Amino acid sequence: MKTLALAAAELGDEPEGRDATFEAARAGDRAAFDLLMRRHERLVLGTAYRLAGNLEDAQDASQEVFLRLYRNLAKLDAANLAAWLYRVTVNVCHDARRRRPSTVPVDDAPELTAAGDPQQSADQAEQRALLLRSLRMLSEKERAALVLRDLEGLSTAEVAGVLGSSMGTVRSQISKARLKMRDFVERYSRRRL
Amino acid sequence: MSCAIWEERVALLAGGDLETGEAAGVERHLNQCAACTALAADLRRELDGLRQVHAEPLAAEHYAAVRGRVLAELAKPQRRRLVWPWAWAAALAIAAAVVLVVVMTKPNAPPAPDLPQLVAVAPTVQRSRDRQGAVISTHVRRRRVRAGAPSVKEQRRLEVAEVLPPPQPAPPAVEASPVRMVQLATDDPNVVIYWLFEEKGEER
Repeated sequence: MKTLALAAAELGDEPEGRDATFEAARAGDRAAFDLLMRRHERLVLGTAYRLAGNLEDAQDASQEVFLRLYRNLAKLDAANLAAWLYRVTVNVCHDARRRRPSTVPVDDAPELTAAGDPQQSADQAEQRALLLRSLRMLSEKERAALVLRDLEGLSTAEVAGVLGSSMGTVRSQISKARLKMRDFVERYSRRRL
Repeated sequence: MSCAIWEERVALLAGGDLETGEAAGVERHLNQCAACTALAADLRRELDGLRQVHAEPLAAEHYAAVRGRVLAELAKPQRRRLVWPWAWAAALAIAAAVVLVVVMTKPNAPPAPDLPQLVAVAPTVQRSRDRQGAVISTHVRRRRVRAGAPSVKEQRRLEVAEVLPPPQPAPPAVEASPVRMVQLATDDPNVVIYWLFEEKGEER
């Protein structure tokens, strides 16, 4: 299981917070900040993509996250940067969704069957689309918990820290999210038959 | 058998979120329940599929686009970000200065005008005699005390005090029409009746 400490190590953040790139970026070096963004762009854009559900919104959210990172470099600690980025990404996506609700209603999900036939149901691409669509059926908090725990691989305690919730709450959100996802896929499969 | 109570734990087991002891309990249930076993298998398969999808990297240009937008934003002149705080600070300073000047230059409050001395003269209390000749004040109501215990009828008898109006400093030009007031005291100390009438006995 990947933890935030491991993620930080993979990204080049030293636990002591003496990351030269980070320090240079904090001093105003734009090239260093560019490097810092490259290190964390998969974390930010990948998470935002799963939370927002589409690339355009995810890119907007990622831009906002990195701009906030730049403005807050002086206050941040390199050792806690990954957790901070996850938290801000979740918050930015949540705010964006509140300002602009999803344009894809829940009832659109069965439309995936429109041109399909039973054989195509086994198609990997369709299954992939179905799974991604099932993410959108979840509530904001359930989706965030599931994305961080199951897709980003954070521990339950780390997810709780990022979301500002208790571990019990996160466990409940994760289990409900998984069950809802499975129900959605099952309902979809029944409609196809 | 309903497995609703197991579903949440099966969902946690599928993602590896149960402690060893709790996981063993759920595994024992799975050995006896085909429905929950199928649920666990579905959940694992879907989570694996989702992880594979998520692991697929996005195209490099998507990351580059974000970086480019951020750097372009940072490259913009910071004028707006710098000017506005200064503008606010300047506006506040000017407002504070104006308030200070107004307070400092404001003339002292004018002295209070000399008010004429008003001397209130206490009205003269006139006294009258009742039928028995006792003096009854307008301010103090006296209860006549007779020797021996008073009867109930006597107690209920209203005590009447005749009060003459205080002398007016400037008598009105109209014909004087003395008004008489009778204070009627009842057994209830909270109830006092005032009866105003003119000399001829007409009620006002």
